[in-house]
Amino acid sequence: MAYRGPDFWARRLVRNFLAWVAIAFALFPALFVLGTSLNPSNNLSTTRMIPTNPTAVHYVTLVRDYPFLIWLVNTIKVAGITSVGTVFLCALGAYAFSRFRFRGRRTGLLTLLLVQMFPQTLGMVAIFLLLNSLGKYFPWLGLNTHPGLIFVYLGGAMGFNTWFMKGYFDTIPRSLEESALVDGATPFMAFWRIVLPLARPILAVVLVIQFIGVYSEYLLASILLKGERVYTLAVGLRLFLGDNYRDRWGMFAAGAVLGALLILAVFYSLQSLIVSGLTGGAVKE
Amino acid sequence: MYYLKLGALALFDALVVYWCVLLAWDGQWLFLGLTAAGVLLLNVLVLSRRAYPLRYLAPGLVFLGFMVVYPMAYTIYISFTNYATGYILPKTEVIRLLSERDFPPSPPVRYPFTGYGAPGSLYALYLRGEDQAYVVFPDGRQSSAANHVVEDVDGDGIPEALDGRPRLALGDLLPLVAQLQTLRIPYEGGWLKLATLREFGLYFPQYTYDPATDTLQDNRTGKTYRPQNGRFTAEDGEALDPGWTEFVGLTNYVRFIRDPLYHRAFVRVFAWTVLWSIFSVVFSFALGLALAILLNDRGLRLRKLYRSLLIVPYALPAFISVLIWRAFYNVELGLFNQTLFAWFGIKVPWLANAFWARFSIILTNVWLTYPYMMLVSLGALQSIPGEVYEAAKVDGAGGWQRFTKVTFPLLMVSVAPLLIGSFAFTFNNFTLVWLLTKGEPVVEIGSRAGATDILLSYAYKLAFEGARGNEWSMASALAVVIFVIVILISGISFARTRALEEVSRGL
Repeated sequence: MAYRGPDFWARRLVRNFLAWVAIAFALFPALFVLGTSLNPSNNLSTTRMIPTNPTAVHYVTLVRDYPFLIWLVNTIKVAGITSVGTVFLCALGAYAFSRFRFRGRRTGLLTLLLVQMFPQTLGMVAIFLLLNSLGKYFPWLGLNTHPGLIFVYLGGAMGFNTWFMKGYFDTIPRSLEESALVDGATPFMAFWRIVLPLARPILAVVLVIQFIGVYSEYLLASILLKGERVYTLAVGLRLFLGDNYRDRWGMFAAGAVLGALLILAVFYSLQSLIVSGLTGGAVKE
Repeated sequence: MYYLKLGALALFDALVVYWCVLLAWDGQWLFLGLTAAGVLLLNVLVLSRRAYPLRYLAPGLVFLGFMVVYPMAYTIYISFTNYATGYILPKTEVIRLLSERDFPPSPPVRYPFTGYGAPGSLYALYLRGEDQAYVVFPDGRQSSAANHVVEDVDGDGIPEALDGRPRLALGDLLPLVAQLQTLRIPYEGGWLKLATLREFGLYFPQYTYDPATDTLQDNRTGKTYRPQNGRFTAEDGEALDPGWTEFVGLTNYVRFIRDPLYHRAFVRVFAWTVLWSIFSVVFSFALGLALAILLNDRGLRLRKLYRSLLIVPYALPAFISVLIWRAFYNVELGLFNQTLFAWFGIKVPWLANAFWARFSIILTNVWLTYPYMMLVSLGALQSIPGEVYEAAKVDGAGGWQRFTKVTFPLLMVSVAPLLIGSFAFTFNNFTLVWLLTKGEPVVEIGSRAGATDILLSYAYKLAFEGARGNEWSMASALAVVIFVIVILISGISFARTRALEEVSRGL
C-alpha cells in the first residue's frame, strides 16, 4: 500500500463527516415522523425522536376511526389502473409511430410534442366543467368518481410517454418482426408477441414512474373528488392538517409512514431503473 | 373470419343507429354528434386498410383529445368570455327564467280548489274561478268544468266527486305539493299557481322580453332593462340576476393589467413565481452538485450507501413530506421552534410572516429537489473523461480552477436543459405551495393572493375559492398566460439543446 500522509486521512474524515451531515438533513423528517408515530402522545409538541415506550396505538386508531385504508386502496386502484392503461395505450401509439409510415405521422408526432408542453393542470377549470357535464349523462364518469379521474390522468400521460417509448422502440431491430410477418403473423401479433417482450425495460420504467406520479398527484384529485369515501391519499391526508395537527399529530404520523411505505419499497427495489428513467429528461411529478 | 367481423360491425352499427334515433328524439344533439363521430371512426378503423395505423393510435388519441386538447381549447375559449358565478347560463335561458318571475296583484286574488282521485294517484283538481269552474289535470291540461261530470250533492259548491272519482282529503294532497307547484294555468293575462294548500293564486309576469329591441320591461315599475356586461341592466344601474355567458374579447387579460384589484396581485404573484423558481433551482442545484462531487470521490468507501440515503427525500411521496415539514414549521408547537426556544430562547414566525414563509417554502423545496440535482450531476460528472483532468493538471490548474474552468462548463452542457425543465416544473409546483402554505400569509387586505402564491395557485383560488364565487374566466385567462410562459421556457430549452436534433432524427 502506498504511503498516505495525514493530509489524506484528514480529507477523508472531512468528507465522511460532510456526507453524514447531509444524510442527517435528508433523513430527519422521515425519522422524526417514524418516531412520533410510535410515541403514545398525540400532541405536536412531542419533540422526541426515539419514543421511550413505543406503541402502535396511532396505527390502530388510524385504521379503525378514519377511512385511511379506503384512501390507500383508492390510491392504489387509481394509480394502478392509470399506469397499466398508460403503458398499454402509449405502447400501441409508440408502435404505430415507430413502425408504420403513414400520412400525418410527422404532424402527429410534432403535435404530440406541442400538446405535451401544456401542463394538464392548467386545464383544471375546463376539466372540472367537462366531468361535471359528463356526469349528468354518465354518472360513473362524472365528478367524484374514480373512472373519471383515471380518464383524466390517462389523457395527461399520453404525450410524453408515447415519445419516450417510441424512442426505445426505434432501437429494437426490425428483423425479428419481419421474419414473423413473413411467417404469416399479423402486425398486431408481432407487436404483442415480439416487440412488447423486448421492450420490457421501458414498459417497466413508464409503469413505475406513472404509478408514483399518480400516487402523489394532488391538484386534479382535490378538484375532482369531493367525498371522504372516494378520496385518494394525497387529498385525504390533508384532513389531519385541520387545527394544525394539534390533536391528531400521532395519527397523521402513522398515516404518513403507512402512505410512504409502499412507494419507498417500490423506489428502492427498482432504484436504478427509476433513476435512469427520471433523470433521462423526465422530472418527477 | 373477415365476414364474421363484418357481420358483427353491421349488427353494432344497426344498434347505434337505433340509439341515435332515440337521442335525436330526446334532442341530445351534442351526444348524438359525439356518438356518430365515434361510430364513424370505428367503421373507418375496421374497414379501411389505409387507416390501419390509426387502429393503434386511436385509443390513446381519444384520451388525449378529451382530457388534454379539449380542456386546452376550452380554457382558451373561457378566457375570452365572462364565465363565472352568476354568468353561467346562455342568454335564452336567462330570458326564460326572468319571464317566469311573477308578482301577485294587490290585493291578491285567490281561488279555492279541491283534489280528486285515490290517495297516491291524483286524477284532477277542481278549481273554482270568478264565474266559472275549471278541471285541471296533474300534467297541466285544463278544461272547463262544464265538460265533466260534477257531482255536488249537498250544493255547497264543492263537488263530492269528479268524473266518478271521490274527493281527496287535504292530507292526501300534501305529498303532491312539489308537483302541484309546477302547474301554471293561463288566466287573464297572467297565470294561476299554487298559493296555499287550498287555493290557487293569480299572478302576473313581472318581466316582458321584447326580441325586437332586445330589452326587458318590468311590468310593475315600468323600468326598461338593456343587456349590458352580461346582465339586464336598468338606466339607474340596477342589474338583474342571473347574468349570461357572453364573449368579452380580451377584457379578462386587460383586467390583469388595468383593474387594480387584479393588477397588483398579478404583478406580485408573477414576480414571486419567477424568483421562487430561480432560487429553488439555484440552491437545490448548488447543494446537489456539491454532494455529487463529494460522492464522486472513489476513495469514499460507503458512497453507495450514502447515495441511497441521500435520495430519501426524492423517494418519499412529496405530499407526505410537505405535510411533515408544515408541522415542523408550526410556530408554537413545531419541531423547529421548540428546538430553537429550548436552545436559544427564540421563536421564528415560520409560515406566519411573509419573509419567513418564503424562506421556509424555498428551504423545503431545496430539500425536496436536491436529490434529483445530485443524481443528474453525478451522472454528468461520471461521463466526463478522466483525461480532461489530467490535461488540466499538467497545465498547472489548481483544484478550484479545474472545477470552474473544466468540470462546471462540461457539466452544464448536459445538465442545463434539465435545469430549465426543473425551472418549468417549479414554476407550476402547486402541490408544494398548496400543502405547505396555501399561498399564505395574506399580504393585502381584500386580495386573495398571498405572499407565497404562485400563478397556478392564484388561478386555483380564482377558480375554486374566489372571493366573488367561481371566477372561471379570470382563472382561465391566467392559465393561458402561464401556458404561454411555459411554452417560452420550453422553447428556449429546446432551441438551446440537442433535443431538436434528436426530435428531427426521430421524425
